[in-house]
Amino acid sequence: MIEGIFVEGLIYSIMALGVFFTFRILDFPDLTVDGSFPMGAVVMAACLHQGVNPVTGLLLAFAGGVLAGVTTAEIHNRLKVPHLLAGILTMTMLYSVNIRILSNRANLPLLRVETVLTKIHAWSEGFISAEWASLIFFLLVVILIKKGLDLFFITDMGLMFGALGNNEQMVRTQGVNPAILKSIGVGLSNGLVALSGAFAAQYQGFADVNLGQGIVVSGLASVMLGEFLLRSNRISILTLRVVLGTILFKAIMYLGRYYGYYINMTPNDLKLIAGILIIISLAAANIRNKKEKNRS
Amino acid sequence: MIRLEKVQKTFGLGTAGEKTVIRNLDFEVEKGDFITVVGSNGAGKTTLFNLISGSIFPTQGKILIKGKEVTRDPEYKRAKAIGRIFQDPLAGTASNMTLEDNMMITSNKGFKWPKISLTRTMRQSFQEQVKQLEMGLESRLKENVNTLSGGQRQALTLLMTVTSNPDILLLDEHTAALDPRNAELVMALTKRFINEKGLTTLMVTHNMNHAIEFGNRLIMMDQGEIIIDVKQEAKKQLTKKRLIEMFSEIKKRDFENDEVLLTS
Repeated sequence: MIEGIFVEGLIYSIMALGVFFTFRILDFPDLTVDGSFPMGAVVMAACLHQGVNPVTGLLLAFAGGVLAGVTTAEIHNRLKVPHLLAGILTMTMLYSVNIRILSNRANLPLLRVETVLTKIHAWSEGFISAEWASLIFFLLVVILIKKGLDLFFITDMGLMFGALGNNEQMVRTQGVNPAILKSIGVGLSNGLVALSGAFAAQYQGFADVNLGQGIVVSGLASVMLGEFLLRSNRISILTLRVVLGTILFKAIMYLGRYYGYYINMTPNDLKLIAGILIIISLAAANIRNKKEKNRS
Repeated sequence: MIRLEKVQKTFGLGTAGEKTVIRNLDFEVEKGDFITVVGSNGAGKTTLFNLISGSIFPTQGKILIKGKEVTRDPEYKRAKAIGRIFQDPLAGTASNMTLEDNMMITSNKGFKWPKISLTRTMRQSFQEQVKQLEMGLESRLKENVNTLSGGQRQALTLLMTVTSNPDILLLDEHTAALDPRNAELVMALTKRFINEKGLTTLMVTHNMNHAIEFGNRLIMMDQGEIIIDVKQEAKKQLTKKRLIEMFSEIKKRDFENDEVLLTS
């Protein structure tokens, strides 16, 4: 079970990194995530059933997420709609789109098709158990994505995203169109989210259009939990704590699912717990900020 | 460098609250000019800056920068030519990012590609630049900008703006939010940078001494018009007393309640 927590934590941390990108770096609270996560899952599932190479499937899932994110950003940019509403619009539309992608079905099992994981398992059979092979595989994937993001955020373009989240005027003063940056940023973020969804579908063995319900809340809770673990202004630490936060969040959810019955909790209460975690995090952050203000 | 032709700006056109803040303005700025802009609140000084930088568009008239019409160009398109500093020290920097990140962001204008320019040599050159401020910031390049004081932030903003080599520098009461000591410090830096680089500058100020002491030209705005324009030699001879006399002559009204006089 402990491997399970880590594997799920790692898979969902890719999504949390996307949420971190929009919420924390871009200051663009993006709710598209609830639609782009299942979109990644259903694109992947559809590809696998069509016999498409799993790696191509992952790339297509990523591209689908990018497209979803760009849609949200463009609705916001062109129609001057608040980001939250733009995200909700895309998310709602994606529900129908996702069902279309699954050829008018709400879910699709992946038990009889070859996935990235079945390939890995076939290859590692004999050395280590399937669960550990998954763990090592996802650890490598997450390290790769995290390192990539760390590098990306210190490039000229990456720094510009930070500036956008802090001070949009500064971006304009630099001669950069904030609208284009938003499209790129929200696009990339949802690409990551969809990639996470594609991995989640393969790990769970099915894709479901309802996979995304409350995903943005769990991602945000993971990001916030991580912020209590480490304090720094270095980007490598900021991304690391997103990953750690997601694993911690998954661990809390596991505890809730398996031991919650001691306090009469059912799995249906998990979303409530996720929400309460965010509220506690917000309250704690508020108290901490106040303390710091008093000190200076 | 900058030319405004019959520019008019009316807010709330066609509504009951219609208000013309810039009236039929003709205004030309030569290369290398350092113009101080004075006038009471609501005279249209900031609106003039907003029109030049493109954060708002005129209702009528034309705006040319470096001989090219930019009347309808959005702010980010004109930004390559313009460096603007606001009254709020928070407006020019990204609080939650380090000094070196901030300096990297402002070190060149225009669209940025994902390539890494923040190298060791770049950091060294930032260190050299920051030394010019004589605020001890050279050891704090890895700290977030929100740990700096208002004066330090504004000095840093000034440095970053000047080193991005704009053709035109717009200073919108950039020392007004600072305490007197820091204000003088930032003002002294402003003067030094402008002289060193020969920057074409417009500076809004409520400090009459600064307005008279600095620059080669002074304009006074009132109700959306330039009512006084003193250039070159005449500017050198100008005193505060003379300026107040000129205002009374033109407007046939007294100056007493205008806060232009408050900071003397």
